[in-house]
Order: sequence, then structure tokens, then C-alpha cells
Amino acid sequence: MMASSYNAKDEDGHITVSGPGGGALRSKKPENTAFKQQRLPAWQPILTAGTVLPAFFIIGLIFIPIGIGLYVTSNNIKEFEIDYTGVDMSSPCFNCSQNYSWNSTKPCTCTIPFYLEQPYEGNVYMYYGLSNFYQNHRRYVKSRDDSQLHGDMDSLLKPSKECEPYAMHDNKPIAPCGAIANSMFNDTLELFYNDPNGTKVQISLANTGIAWFTDKYVKFKNPGGDNANLTAVFQGTTKPVNWRKPVYELDKNASNNGFINEDFIVWMRTAALPTFRKLYRTIKDSKMVPTLPRGNYTLEVVYNYPVRSFEGRKRMILSTISWMGGKNPFLGIAYITVGSVCFFLGVILLVIHHKCGNRNNSTDISN
Amino acid sequence: MAFRTEQEVDSLHATIECEQPQPDLYKFVGRINIYKDKEEPVARPLGAENLLLRGATLKNTQHIYAVAVYTGMETKMALNYQSKSQKRSAVEKSMNAFLIVYLCILISKAVINTVLKYAWQWSPDRDEPWYNHRTENERQRHVVIRAFTDFLAFMVLFNYIIPVSMYVTVEMQKFLGSYFITWDEEMFDEELGEGAQVNTSDLNEELGQVEYVFTDKTGTLTENNMEFIECCVDGNVYIPHAICNGQILSAASSIDMIDSSPGGYRREHEDLFFRALCLCHTVQVKEEETVDGIKRGIHQGRPTSFYISSSPDEVALVEGMKRLGYTYLRLRDNYMEILNKDDEIERFELLHVLNFDSVRRRMSVIVKSSSGEYLLFCKGADSSIFPRVVSGKVEQVKARVEQNAVEGLRTLCVAYRRLSETEYEEVCHHLNEAKLALQDREQRLAQAYDIIERDFVLLGATAVEDRLQEKAADTIESLHKAGMKVWVLTGDKMETAAATCYASKLFRRSTQILELTKKRTEEQSLHDVLFELNRTVLRQRSISGLSVDCLDFGLIIDGATLSAVLKPNQEGAGPGNYREIFLEICRNCSAVLCCRMAPLQKAQIVKLIKASKEHPITLAIGDGANDVSMILEAHVGIGIMGKEGRQAARNSDYAIPKFKHLKKMLLVHGHYYYIRIAELVQYFFYKNVCFIFPQFLYQFFCGFSQQPLYDTAYLTLYNISFTSLPILLYSLVEQHVTMETLKREPSLYRDIAKNSLLRWPVFLYWTCLGVFDAVIFFFGAYFLFDNTTFTSNGQMFGNWTFGTLVFTVLVFTVTLKLALDTHHWTWINHFVIWGSLLFYVIFSLLWGGIIWPFLNYQRMYYVFMQMLSSGPAWLSIILLITVSLLPDVIKKVLCRAVCPSATERAQSSRPCLTVEPSTIFMLSQSSSRMSF
Repeated sequence: MMASSYNAKDEDGHITVSGPGGGALRSKKPENTAFKQQRLPAWQPILTAGTVLPAFFIIGLIFIPIGIGLYVTSNNIKEFEIDYTGVDMSSPCFNCSQNYSWNSTKPCTCTIPFYLEQPYEGNVYMYYGLSNFYQNHRRYVKSRDDSQLHGDMDSLLKPSKECEPYAMHDNKPIAPCGAIANSMFNDTLELFYNDPNGTKVQISLANTGIAWFTDKYVKFKNPGGDNANLTAVFQGTTKPVNWRKPVYELDKNASNNGFINEDFIVWMRTAALPTFRKLYRTIKDSKMVPTLPRGNYTLEVVYNYPVRSFEGRKRMILSTISWMGGKNPFLGIAYITVGSVCFFLGVILLVIHHKCGNRNNSTDISN
Repeated sequence: MAFRTEQEVDSLHATIECEQPQPDLYKFVGRINIYKDKEEPVARPLGAENLLLRGATLKNTQHIYAVAVYTGMETKMALNYQSKSQKRSAVEKSMNAFLIVYLCILISKAVINTVLKYAWQWSPDRDEPWYNHRTENERQRHVVIRAFTDFLAFMVLFNYIIPVSMYVTVEMQKFLGSYFITWDEEMFDEELGEGAQVNTSDLNEELGQVEYVFTDKTGTLTENNMEFIECCVDGNVYIPHAICNGQILSAASSIDMIDSSPGGYRREHEDLFFRALCLCHTVQVKEEETVDGIKRGIHQGRPTSFYISSSPDEVALVEGMKRLGYTYLRLRDNYMEILNKDDEIERFELLHVLNFDSVRRRMSVIVKSSSGEYLLFCKGADSSIFPRVVSGKVEQVKARVEQNAVEGLRTLCVAYRRLSETEYEEVCHHLNEAKLALQDREQRLAQAYDIIERDFVLLGATAVEDRLQEKAADTIESLHKAGMKVWVLTGDKMETAAATCYASKLFRRSTQILELTKKRTEEQSLHDVLFELNRTVLRQRSISGLSVDCLDFGLIIDGATLSAVLKPNQEGAGPGNYREIFLEICRNCSAVLCCRMAPLQKAQIVKLIKASKEHPITLAIGDGANDVSMILEAHVGIGIMGKEGRQAARNSDYAIPKFKHLKKMLLVHGHYYYIRIAELVQYFFYKNVCFIFPQFLYQFFCGFSQQPLYDTAYLTLYNISFTSLPILLYSLVEQHVTMETLKREPSLYRDIAKNSLLRWPVFLYWTCLGVFDAVIFFFGAYFLFDNTTFTSNGQMFGNWTFGTLVFTVLVFTVTLKLALDTHHWTWINHFVIWGSLLFYVIFSLLWGGIIWPFLNYQRMYYVFMQMLSSGPAWLSIILLITVSLLPDVIKKVLCRAVCPSATERAQSSRPCLTVEPSTIFMLSQSSSRMSF
């Protein structure tokens, strides 16, 4: 009763009071803009069973086929892996792995025979794999000098402190410096096809095209430009301690020598996990069709790289590649699982939505 | 002896002894010893009446001579000054608690990793394999130092889990967010020409957490705009017209006579009545224009004069008389001048003023009219006048007074007594005797007054209204519905205050009133009363069981009883702790009225509730200087920019022009701020868990070597630019429910009560979600990367690509998670959310696109682009984002479907809103394109 009476009065007040100093007061009044009044037009979605349902079904319907596609593709990829570390006595490389010394001048070689049960078609990629090798160790990852590798002359002669203790040797700067470069993988792998008629055919392995294009042509550069005499350029530097030959003798091909040697570049991209593989060679212009027919093969290894001291493993992997990369059933399975889960949830939500939707409606009406 | 000149003062030789400084304003004990040449020193007592407080202003005199007794920090005002302590909001407190949890997580992570690192690298082949030697320097370091540096390195690596940027963002959010309060047009008052004011932005979200509202009555619930409503002389009612908010529009002086039956007797009483009201007061007249008056009377055209009084009621009465044609002009040379209806000036000699006091509850003046008559006029509360009346139309007046009191009007009764010459002599004698008494002066004065003020002839009664503020009742009702308990703390007397409480719907007709007043405790002991009330309350609760709301209690307590309740119990545990019982009673009352409160008692009450075992969030709102202590004490102090100066507004955390604005302040702004900041806090912890936990997991795969998973640029920019803006904007503009809904349904406020969005289960949920997402990111990427080729040209990716993949999924997931939480998509939200994702992509392209000359490493060169050139990377990014978001979506949908909260129901019923035209406009503008 009171409320109504004073409301009426106050409205009168509003009309009459506007007189004194109205203009001055007006300026203090907040602006009536949508933003300031928090009244911007807005879309106000709510996640209800009703709105989410279609999304779930759509996700399910899209993910399951993708997953199946991925899974099938992954299954069609052929991959062959062989461990040549030589841990077992029976292993051909056992001797090499036992009598290992950095200083031995005579390379130790071993031969591993294997049998491919399926022919490998198209491009075949040859990887080497290392296990228990911590390329992602912090001390290791940072132990490099990117400006040296970019061809900077100053850095060549004065390697970055990050390279310690692989920066200087015998008071000469190491080129390339750092732990990564120093520990570069230096086994030589050769592949032979044992023809059924008894001849041993060496399969030609291409050592280019294995590194990222941008790495090879932009990030890594030989000092002194493309056509410089590398021997002269690297004068005054010394090879990494563990290397057998200096960096300018990595390859005879001038465009794959020095810092832009692709094996070197591949190694310099540190792996994410302690078990990793790196691309070693590609088999593209094999004279045979298919690229690697089924049959007996021999892998000849020049065993230089010691891994047994840290219980590592060395592997050689042959793999074909599809549009989605190498063999990896995980992605396909994951897609199928997520797709089915979504679909399943969609069904559950449909049920719930149906039940609760009715209940809500009834309560609304009763209110 | 008087000292009128400086020389005279100079001749005084005296010492003053006084007590140690103490904060009680109304107490002072001292003694002045006056030395005269060789006589014995004369000692005079000094009391509170001899003391001028700091900041006092002189009236009626140009200057006085005084001695400074206390100075600086020892003055009573300084001792009373309550330092404005830093107020911290509940959100901030839980934020700090969460932070400590995260700090523990951080330290334990670092410790675990350090321990594992040394366990793992026990064998030297792991510690230092041939390919990865330490430098000579490092090798020589002691193992303890090495372990310690490792620990520190882990701390540095994981430190991002402590969201430092959160504090910056929270501050920004609070600072910028508080502008919305100042900008609010609805909280702008045309009359004052002012809108809401934000004095601190620290407490925005606390506005959404209020459980107890302590409000002042006069000036807060009411307008403190006393208005003379009517007077009644012998049962005839007179109502002056032309009132508008207490200002007189014209000098109109018409009298409405409801019962017009003029007669000699009536005429005489009428004249006496009006003269009584014109004479019986302590109002002063100020003629200047620039006066910090409490009350102004503006005469357009005429020289302005103001009435000033410590009591606004008196001013209202004198002004009311003016409107009825009797203008009190001035007091000159002890003669009071009145301009009567016929524009003649009447002069009365003022002989004595018997001042008002709260025990007698009346005041009187004795005047001598020009015709030589001695008249005693008295006005006072009905209860103190009626027993002393011997004649007059008591019944009619009484009826009218009661009717007015029920309507919440302040009533006063007016009576007079004619004194003969001898009687006057006697009165003078009594008064002088009492006034000159050195001992028990107060008591003797009271006795004298008692003798003088009797045998009255009743003239009539007045009614003054202190109008309720606009929409006060509606506001209080909303606050009640929002689950807040409203307490009215006032210095007024109980009846008036109770009437206001009824009018403002604080008490409803159904409310059962519990009284805890002096009147009652005089009959029974406080102990008994308390226990009885407690029993009543408890019985009610046990009977009603679940439906507590069926009958609510209202408690009325007065200042005297309160201080008795709060008095520390010296008898130990004997009769039990009154404080607890009192709190128990209060807890069960939906409304409490505390009347006759001293300012400090107001603060005490607030403190009491604050310290009770639930630690509720309190809000105090008031307009006057007497509310400052409670405003400072409460968690949130709100000042009304009132008529009694700016002191409350200045000391408050927020100032609003009117009480009604409290509704929007709490229900809309408070609610919004709370959900915004709650999401902000939780989201920040979440996104940093997502960010850092993969790094933690990565340590298990990199030999605990502190290798970061992400590039430095990503580590730095994650919190600064990739994920900061969307949440900042969310925390500024999110509206999970429309303003209209919040205002219409105050009960939604209960959904966020008790810091519900920042409680430990919710925090745990967010953290678990963060850990889950982090595990998905990391192991998803791990299994995809594990020992396989990712590209269609057989080339391999390195650790930086791995990190970038995880980071990309992370940034997208975290941003999309916020997008899923956003209920209010304005164009700015779209811009910021999609913009920040785009920024991330562009930044990454740029960052990896160039060999940066100033960097000594080029690890990110082309990493992002190479990743994007690989099909499986795209597929896995999409997959991982989907999986990470899935649980949260399911949780949301299920919760909404199975047990929707009130808020969620309000959200779903949003389409019903389209009835309102403004909403139609909003929806049609926005949803036509975007809704699905």
C-alpha cells in the first residue's frame, strides 16, 4: 500500500526536479551504449543434450570412416625391422660389438641375412633406429652451434659455449662442434638382394632427399659459400673427436658435403624420444620391379657405432610410405574408438534427452 | 569569572589534570586547579561538556579560548579512527589456497623429478654416456650442489604451473570490470546527477557472495527527507499541500480543514498548537546561502534562509508550520519571532529550554508572550505526554496518533500549560537549583523537569513521514529471495523502526516477531529471555522440519540488550555463552531489527556475525557518518550518497545513489562478477596444468634432464598472448544468464552462494580435467610419434616438432574449452577467441619462417610448417582436441539433463524471454546467422 503511494509521488518529482543545473548533471550521466550497458547483441548458445546430440552423431559418422581408412592404410604399409646390435652370441655382429674401440683403424664388418616375405612396392625407405639413446637430453639438445652450421665464419673458428665440452680440441675449434655432431651415427649399411639364381645384387641406396628441404638449403650452409673449397675453408678447425674423417670428407659429391651433408643434417635434428629412427637412405631407382621383391637379402654393416655401453640397440628398418606416413595403427584405432564412443554417447544422450526433456517440460507447465 | 580578552586569559594561572587518552567520546574526567596569588588553589571539575572534540565547529560565537588537552594521535577522534584495513574477497582467499596447493604440486614435482633423476642416472653410462659428456667444470661440482641446481632447474621448468599472469589478469579484470558499475545507466540517479561509484575494485566478486545485509534505516531505507504530513488539533486534521520532496514550491499556505467547525475554543487551541510548534524547538535559522546545512528551505526570489537542527524532525515540523502559515523567523536577543498568518510579527521571550533527552523523550520551552502570559509548551512521544495530560481531547488525538504510527509515520504530541507568575517563580527556582548543583546534576535536572512538565493540556499531534526510498520494499524482498538475511540497524526507537520494517516488507504480516528489548529484560532476566526465544525458534524448526520457510521469524533487539548480550561473560561458563545463543537465534531469523544502536554497536554486530562459525560474507550499507564504522567493518561496505554528507560514500567500497540500486548491484553485477572471476581463476589453473603437465611427463622420456618440451617463445607467450585475451574478455563480458532473468529471479543468487564455484570439489574437477587433457596431449602425441614416420616423404620429425604438436593441441583445446564455457557470444568474443587462435598460427608461421639473426639457435625453423604439411599431424591434432574436450562436454550435458541447477533451468527457459521486445531485438540480431 505504501509502495504504490510513494512511487506515484516520486514520478512527479522526476518531472519537476529537472530544472536546476540539468545540463551540468547530464554530462555525468553514463553513456547509453550497448557495450557500456553490457547489452551487446549476443549469441547465447547452451550445451544441452539437444544441441550436442547432432554434433556427437556427426563426429561419430565422420571419425569412424576416417579411422577405418587410416587403419587400412596403415595395415597396407609394409615394414621390416631387424636388430643388428649384436647382443646375443649368435648374432653376426656380436664380435664387432664386443671388440669395439674408437681408435681401431680397421673397420669391423658384419653381415646379416634376412628374408622379406612380401614384395615392397613403390618407394622404399631405409631407416636406422636407435634405442635408449637420449638425443633429447637437455645437455645434448643444446650442444650445437646453429650459426656455425649456418656457415658463419666467426662461429666456425670460435664455436659457441653451448658446444662445451665439444667445442675445442687441441686448441683448435671443432667443426661441427657440439655433442650432437660429435656423436653422429657412422655405421654404413649396405643392402644386397640374393637373387634366386645365386647372384648377389647390390641395391642402390640414394643418400639425398632424406633431410628437410629447408634444412638442407637454408638452415645448413657451408662456410664460404656454395662453391668454396671446403678443405681450405675448414683450415684451422679440427674434426669432432669421435669422427674418423673431417666434415669436408663426408661425401664426394660437393652438394652433399660439409655441413650440408644430408646424413649429418638428419642426425642434427634431435629426436623427441629415446627410441627413435632416422631416415638413412631411400630406394627409388631400383632396377627391379617391385622395388624389393620377396626373397633373401643380406645387410652388410660396417660396425662403427657403439651402443652397448648404454644398453642401446641398433636397428635397420625398411618401410614403404603412404600419404599418412609410416606404419602406425594407433591413429586409425584411436579414430575408430573416439568415433564409436561419440556415437555411443550420442545414443545415450538421446535417451536422456528424451526422458529429461519430457520431465522438464512437465515441470515448466506446472510452474 | 569570565575571560573575555587575551589579557584576561593570560592572567590565568592554572594546571589541568586529565585522564590518559581514551577513545570514548562521551567521557572525560579532568580537573583544573586555578592558582591565585597566595591563596589556596581552587579545583574545578572538568567533564565531557567542557571538552571540544577535534573537528568540532563553533556555533553562535566567533571564537573561544581553550586549552589543547590531547593532540595528534591522542585526540579522541584519532583514537576512534578505524583504520581502513585491507579487505580481501573470499575469491581471493580461495585463490590463495589454490595457489598454495599448486605450489606444493610444483615443489613435489621438482622433488620427484630430482630424486628420480639421481636414481635413474645411478649408472654412469646413463649419467654420462659417451655421446654426452659434461664439461670439466660441471663434473667437479659437488653432487649436492648439482642436485640442488637440478632441483632449481626443475622449478624453473615447471614454474609456469603457478599462474603468475593470473594475478595480473585478475587485477585487470577487476579494474576494467568495475567500470561497468560506473557506466551503468540504471544506477544513475537523475536527482543527484550521479551514478554508482567504485572506490575499490577488489571486491567486485564479493558482491555476488553476500549472505548478510546490514542496512541503516534513516537515509538508507528511508529518504531521510522528513516531511510534515499532517497535524491534528483536538482531532481535526490539517494537511498542508504542495509538497514535493520536502521542498516548498510556492509560499502557499492553505489549510485543508477536514472537519471545519470553527468555534472559539477550537480557535484558541489551534493558535496555541501552531505557536507551540513554532516555539518549542531548537532549530536555528541561517540566512546565508552557503551553508553545509542538513536541511534547506529554498524560497525562490526571497532572501533564502535555512533551518538547521540536529534533528531533521524538528526542521520538518517548523517547515510544516511555515506551510500552514506560521513562520518562525529568528531568535533575537532571547526573543523568538514568529510571522503569523496575518503577516504580523509576534514576539515571545524565551525563558527556558528544557532540552530533549532520550529518557524523557520530550522537550519543553517556557516563553513569555507579549501579553505577559507565561506559557510552557511541550512536545514529545505520545507515551511520555499522555500520562501528564489533564485535559484536552485525548481520545481523538490518541486514535489519530495510533493510526499514523501504524502507517510508519513519526508522531509527536504537543501539549501546553499556562503558568501563573508564582508558578513560574517556582519553576525558575527548581531549574536554577538543579542547574547549579555540582553533584548529580543530571539527576536533579531530571527531577526538576519531572515536576515542571505536568498538568498539561493536550493540543494535538503531528505526523512526520520519513518516506521509504523508492523500491526499498521490492529490493528487500529480492534480497530475501536471494537468500540474504537483512538486518536493519538504526538509532531510532523501536516503534518507528518496526513500522518502517513492515513498510519495507522486512517483516511480513506472517512474520513472528521475537522481541529482545530492554522492556522485556527488565521483567525477566536476559538469560531467561534468551533461552526462551531459543526454544521457540528451535521448536519451530523441529516442527516445520523440511519446510522452514513456512513461518519466518523476525527479531527485534535494542542497543542496551545487545550490549548486555555481547558483554564478555565474567562468570565463566556458568549461565552459558549468550553470544552463541544469540547467534543461534539470529541464524533462524530471516530479518533482524536492531534499534537504538550506537554507531560502534553497529560495527560490533557486523563483527559478531562475521566471526560466527560459518564466516558469512557481510555487507553493510548506510549513508551517514554513524554508519562508517560498520561500513568499514563489513566485508563489503556500500555507501549511499545521501543527504548527511559524503562520509559514508567516501569510506565505502562502493557508493550508490539510492538503496534500490543495491538490487542490481548484488543480483546482477555481483552475480556476473562472481561467475566471471570464478571461471577466470579456475580456468587459469586449468590452462597452466594443461600447459606444464606434459612437460612433467616429458621428463620421464628425456632422462630427467629438464629438457623443455616447448620452444622458449611458446613458453613465454603462452600465458601472455596465446591464451590471455579470451579469458580476460570472458571475465569482462560473460553473461551466463541475461540481466533481466537475474533481476526477475533473485533466487538464482543462491546458486553461487558460499563461494560455490570455487570450492574444493570444483577446483579438483578443473585440475583433474587439466591433468586429463595434459595426459591426452602428451601420450596422444607420444603414441603418434613413437617410432614411426609422420610424413609422406619418409623424413622424420624431431623433438621440437613433437613439442609444437603438443603445444598446438594445447592452445586450441584450451581456447575451445573457454569457447564451450562462453554463454554470451558478442562480436568481441568471436573476434578475440578466433583471433587469438589465428594469432597463434600466424605467429608460429612467422617464428619458424625466418632464420632469426639475433637468436643463437634456429631450432624452430620451419618446424611448424613441416608439421602442417603432414596429414597425420592434422588428423591427430583434430583427434586430440576432440578427445580432450569430450569429457567436459559430456559432464556439462549430463549435469544439465539429469539435475539442472536453477541457473541452468533459467538458461534453458531463455526462449520464453523473447516475449520482451528488447530481447527479441537482441536475439534476432545475433542468432539469425549463428545459431544452429
